[in-house]
Amino acid sequence: MRIPFLILSLFLTLTLPMIANAQESSDPLVKIRILPEKGEIQAGEEIWIGTQQSITPDWHTYWTNPGDSGATPTIEWALPEDFEISEIQWPAPHKLPYGPLLNYGYEDKVILLQKLKAPKTLPKGPLELNATIEILVCKEECIPEYGNYTLTLNGPNAATENNSPYINVAQQHLPTKTDWLVSFYEDGNDFVLKTAAPEALLSTINLATVAFFPEEWGLLSNPSPVQALIQDDVLVLKQVRGQRDITSVHEFSGVLSFETMEGEKRSYTISSTFKPDTSTSKFQGSSNLGIFQALIFALLGGLILNLMPCVFPVLSIKALSLVKIAEKHPEIARRHGLSYTAGVITSFVLIAGTLIALQAGGAQIGWGFQLQNPWIVGALGYLLFVIGLNLIGFFDFVNPFANVGGKLAGNDGLSGSFFTGVLATLVATPCTAPFMAGAIGFAFIQPPLISLTIFAALGLGLALPYLALSFAPALQKMLPRPGPWMEIFKQALAFPMFIAALWLLWVLAQQVDSMDITAALFGAILITFSIWMFKHIPERPLTHNITRAIAVLAVLSALTILPTKTITLNNAAIEATYSFGQPFSQNRLEEELAGDAPVFTEMTAAWCITCKVNHKLAINIAATKTLFAENNVRYLIGDWTNEDPAITKYLQAYGRNGVPLYVFYGPRDVVTKQRPEPKILPQVLTPDIVKKYIEGNS
Amino acid sequence: MPKIIAYTMAAAILLFSALPVNAAVEIGKPAPEIEATDTGGNPFKLSDHKGKIVVLEWTNHQCPFVIKHYGSGNMQAVQKTAKDQGVEWVSIVSSAPSHQGHVSADEANTIVSEQGATISAKILDESGAIGKLYDAKTTPHMFIINAEGNVAYAGAIDNKSSPNPKTIEGATNYVLAALESLKAGSAIEVSQTQPYGCSVKY
Repeated sequence: MRIPFLILSLFLTLTLPMIANAQESSDPLVKIRILPEKGEIQAGEEIWIGTQQSITPDWHTYWTNPGDSGATPTIEWALPEDFEISEIQWPAPHKLPYGPLLNYGYEDKVILLQKLKAPKTLPKGPLELNATIEILVCKEECIPEYGNYTLTLNGPNAATENNSPYINVAQQHLPTKTDWLVSFYEDGNDFVLKTAAPEALLSTINLATVAFFPEEWGLLSNPSPVQALIQDDVLVLKQVRGQRDITSVHEFSGVLSFETMEGEKRSYTISSTFKPDTSTSKFQGSSNLGIFQALIFALLGGLILNLMPCVFPVLSIKALSLVKIAEKHPEIARRHGLSYTAGVITSFVLIAGTLIALQAGGAQIGWGFQLQNPWIVGALGYLLFVIGLNLIGFFDFVNPFANVGGKLAGNDGLSGSFFTGVLATLVATPCTAPFMAGAIGFAFIQPPLISLTIFAALGLGLALPYLALSFAPALQKMLPRPGPWMEIFKQALAFPMFIAALWLLWVLAQQVDSMDITAALFGAILITFSIWMFKHIPERPLTHNITRAIAVLAVLSALTILPTKTITLNNAAIEATYSFGQPFSQNRLEEELAGDAPVFTEMTAAWCITCKVNHKLAINIAATKTLFAENNVRYLIGDWTNEDPAITKYLQAYGRNGVPLYVFYGPRDVVTKQRPEPKILPQVLTPDIVKKYIEGNS
Repeated sequence: MPKIIAYTMAAAILLFSALPVNAAVEIGKPAPEIEATDTGGNPFKLSDHKGKIVVLEWTNHQCPFVIKHYGSGNMQAVQKTAKDQGVEWVSIVSSAPSHQGHVSADEANTIVSEQGATISAKILDESGAIGKLYDAKTTPHMFIINAEGNVAYAGAIDNKSSPNPKTIEGATNYVLAALESLKAGSAIEVSQTQPYGCSVKY
């Protein structure tokens, strides 16, 4: 119910003689009245104070964010001792266009509310409160108006003063405070705001009337048209982005206003403290994880990483050599354990730090990003190849190979242990172990210090078995006794290394063309040649140096002929690689979700072993194909082998920062017309797990 | 009837062409080219001034916010400091004919001398083309272009978004701070702010 202002004004003139207007100019464009909720205030009491603006027709004043031009009105109070007054509570503003510009403000009449709080003890007699008010009022031109106003409380007529009808009306115009989940991000040239308002409310919105008033400037282009739609129970609002760098804004508030289908005006205060991200549906995932839990998950994930095919050989050699040392010098063994741990943790923190810095710079990348660069993939391939050559006995690290990781890792010195740690991290990065995904996803929405701590925990997990071994003679005894068999075992381990190198070559093949692959293979020959040269460096100084130079040159050439840019396009690669399933895109997903059929998404990458194994053993098999066909499942595959911001955003929406990710969106219910909550599948899949989720028995 | 349709269409085209071309002015990116004739009748081309720092000031002598800065002598003081540092200062009036602040070249020159402004050039942009190119929203709206021709600062003149001249004292002047940083060769601390003032009268 709204009380017409006219009647109220009449009411006011009759009952409120207390307003003293000290400095009113002859004909102000904005008439100001200070309206206390009531004339009396008790000790410790809180009452509302309204500042009413009566604005001359065709003129307007401004909201807390004035929009493209204008200025926010200010009210400065001089209060009796120990009185407190709140910030201004702003009624929902209107859009006021002027030419190509748009302002946020008010026309006609508006009341700005503030809450006044009296101290615990009050002086006797009338209280004087002085307000200095500055208001800019504009039509086309602008005029600033200044005034000093005095409000008297507990005065002679105080008991008869009652402005609560005004205050009530003003309160009705205040936006309702909410704790709705809100996220915002930039999508190309658009500013996108997603608000998870209650479903019952969403269904009443007249989408054509939706407006968003940001308290922050520059997020969106104020005059740009609003596109609003409801998607997966979330109100999605799009406007052209503003000129400000959105990554500098980590939280903001604003007013969301709309009319219901019945034409009733509604407004809500929404705020987002999220980092800019895109949440396609439920803002779920990582935020449910506590820091402690994330640390535990990171530790567990790191432990499991030890069993990954490329980490295992490096580690077993290291472990066996440790036993040899530990027999004679247990304290040196302990130092090796610590150096190794330091190596692992340092490299994890370094890689994570780089990633965080790049993300802060706006890059849409996630964990495993190292392997999106073909040069790094190639260089890692060389590294594994060289380690393989070493294991099989082609060469020993006797020749001084300056700055080559392989040498340092094979070295028996402490720096050798440190670099084994670095190496283990390098070869482990492409693997995502169970538990890791949740922890990493959580890490990246935390302040840098916490995320780095989580990565350090991941590193500690990876280093833990070796560290434990170096400290516990009991564990050492469980390992087989060193002996001549070790040489054979070491040679045998060369083969997993070569296979791992081959795998990286295959990853490279997804990123570049056959010419580049040939170049990479030629690089491997160059490296072998270089090692061979080093093995046979002559004694004579001149030829010694020449041989050396040739060998170094060969290594450098091997590194420079590696491709640095990906060539293959993601979607094209998918069509060729997968026998069933369709390429993922956000639009495609939205289209499918708009329909009734269930949707299954798979986010994968060529360099992600877990993804490949899952795909091979649980998805791309006859049983699952039949299952999908029977249930009419729409199957979308996103390939993250090469950097793809759309997929990064999708992963983030589910609290992830790496692949694999499997999400199942159940079919629309025939009766309620609603889809159930999307379900995230485990990171390690079996045909049974997939079946359970698809058939809804999870 | 066809006339109404034509008018509506013209209005729509105007409106849409007037929508800000996004990221036309981006901090660290090359400033859009300005080619115009100044109120002294001399040609002005922004790119000719590469090697020098250029300040662009959107102005409207009747706007209270502009009056705040000129009436108090604040803007003139900033201009003087800029000039002493060898900075070019260009004032631009984007008021459309019959709108507030629209002036002829002679009137503009009179205003400059009455204000005691020390500027390198004043440009009348009655079509609003330059203003829209820069997405100039308010008077004053300030842009600083560095010697390489890139936008170094865009936004308000200072941090007190009030038309009250009393607020000049103690305000942080973003333009002076940015010029100081450019002079010292250090990074500009605040390179983008919300401009405040009257709307540009397009």
